[in-house]
Amino acid sequence: MKYTTGVIICLMLLPSFARGQDWVVPDDRKGRLSTFPFTDDTRKEGEKLYQVNCHSCHGDPGRNNFIALQPPPGDPATEKIQRNSDGEIFHKVSAGRGQMPSFRSVLTTDEIWKVVSFIRSFNRSYVQKVMQVITSSAYPGAIISMKLAYDEATKQVLVIASATSETGTVPVTGAGVRLLAARYFGKMAVDEEKTTDVNGVATFSVPEGLRGDTAGNIGFSAMFTDEATFGSVSKDTVLMAGMPVIPVSLTANRAMWNTVRKAPVWIILAYGLGVLAVWGFIVLVMFKLRDIFTVGTALSENISASHGQTEPTKN
Amino acid sequence: MSRDKKEEGNRSNDLDRVIENSRRDFLRKLTLAGAVTVTGGAAIYSGHRFEKAKHREGYVKVLTEDNRLVEIPVEQMRDFKPDLRMLQSRGREGIAGKRWVMVIDLSKCRNARKCVEACQSAHHLRPYEYHINTLVMQESVNTPAFFMPKPCQHCDNPPCVSVCPVDATFKRQDGIVLIDNDRCIGCRFCMAACPYSARIFHWQEPSKHEEDGNKEYDVELNVPQKKGTISKCLFSADRLREGMLPYCVSACPNGVFYFGDENEDAVTNGTTKETVRFSELIEKNGGYRLMPELGTQPRVYYLPPKNRIFEFEQGEKREYKQEKA
Repeated sequence: MKYTTGVIICLMLLPSFARGQDWVVPDDRKGRLSTFPFTDDTRKEGEKLYQVNCHSCHGDPGRNNFIALQPPPGDPATEKIQRNSDGEIFHKVSAGRGQMPSFRSVLTTDEIWKVVSFIRSFNRSYVQKVMQVITSSAYPGAIISMKLAYDEATKQVLVIASATSETGTVPVTGAGVRLLAARYFGKMAVDEEKTTDVNGVATFSVPEGLRGDTAGNIGFSAMFTDEATFGSVSKDTVLMAGMPVIPVSLTANRAMWNTVRKAPVWIILAYGLGVLAVWGFIVLVMFKLRDIFTVGTALSENISASHGQTEPTKN
Repeated sequence: MSRDKKEEGNRSNDLDRVIENSRRDFLRKLTLAGAVTVTGGAAIYSGHRFEKAKHREGYVKVLTEDNRLVEIPVEQMRDFKPDLRMLQSRGREGIAGKRWVMVIDLSKCRNARKCVEACQSAHHLRPYEYHINTLVMQESVNTPAFFMPKPCQHCDNPPCVSVCPVDATFKRQDGIVLIDNDRCIGCRFCMAACPYSARIFHWQEPSKHEEDGNKEYDVELNVPQKKGTISKCLFSADRLREGMLPYCVSACPNGVFYFGDENEDAVTNGTTKETVRFSELIEKNGGYRLMPELGTQPRVYYLPPKNRIFEFEQGEKREYKQEKA
């Protein structure tokens, strides 16, 4: 009886153990390969990136000193992580899940591959497969370029992608494009990811009140989402598509906490008048003292004068 | 007698010859010395001219602050080292056209305390001196406990600045409230005035005071720290100048902090580096500020601890103490 209950309990617990491991990577991402071979240099650069971005949770590879979380982050040197394909590790780092943050906006494609290169250096049986086709496969031999334009009437940014080869220029169709607006600490996505139509045009609607500089200029950059097919093409253009913002200094107004020149008028007046009153009083006292002094000297002169007059009469 | 005279004459002749010889010798030596001097001088002069000619070639192109490309001689190049006057004036003014704003997402904080460590190491603080701290909060018996990172709120109506008698603490045009340790007299009025308990006082010699001794005081970093003065969160004003996120924001492993410019209406997450619209983030997630009833208008916004991605560690949970009647 005890045995069967034990078995049943074990069977019931199995799914909960398995739950932490069902991170399924889409099939088209599994086979993704690095565009460059892993060398000592890529491993070293990968180590630097790992120390900055991954170390706080995953610890030092091979030492099992990752931090205690549920599910555990795991040591990248262990078999559990090493049995992933290169494409799977790339996807998991890039996309993130649950407590593992997405590194898509933090690291570039090449940087993620360098981290993979570092992680793979702890696996002696690993043999790397490098992606054979590096150049654009959709438009072989062509130079792919992008242009950006702003349509004031519809408040849309148009990204026009074209491929130029010896035979002429053709529009790039069916390509996923992202549009980003430059901000002080990074680039902000504008609208969702769009796909180019038959004319090679992707339209992005500019959200209401997107802020630009004092003239309303915004630095946009457009790029293909699928770098493997269309190449790492990007285009930066400044367009007058934003709301003009004239920055106002936070210390512009008069306030109690502001500098002396920006103090409230009543404080300046009250203080000024107070100081004047005190000095006025002091000056008044001085004048009074002078009056007393002059009166006193006049009196004593009078007395001595009268003494002088009275003296001979006494004799 | 005559023999003696003869000897005398001979002797005088010899003397004359010796004098003659020495004069000739002297003249010869003088000519030689003159020649040497002239040749040496010529060599030095030609060397000087050569050096001069060489310097004329040794110019470097430098881009000035107003975007002009100029040439300066190599020997006049100096490593740029901001002096105290420059550090003070730029620290007082702030960065024009910016309004820094911070958003703290309480649903993501799991008390990793990486923000605290990064801040303490950057500003040379001791482990018990906090510019930012993660507090354990529980509003009532029925609500769950959560962690709350609490930096200085950098109020737009700062009571701490109003009470400072010596103009040591001040607010800048970009919204940051700073303290100048060179002016501070340690009266601690600002500590009493701050409703968020954001300020600390250096009762002891600050950590690393020996190594920091000769450093130029940077009001945007509060280093070197000074005993007997106040120190507080600076929104990492030195990093913002370089276009980098504050120390605490970039150190967080859990994506708790967003930081950005309100004028651009954008905040960037320190962990994922994802940039989002500030107004949208606040509106969609029910953002709030601490103690709004005081009218201090903080520049730090909080997102409520809703749909938490980390469970509150049971071991750290504190029992809610009901007040005795």
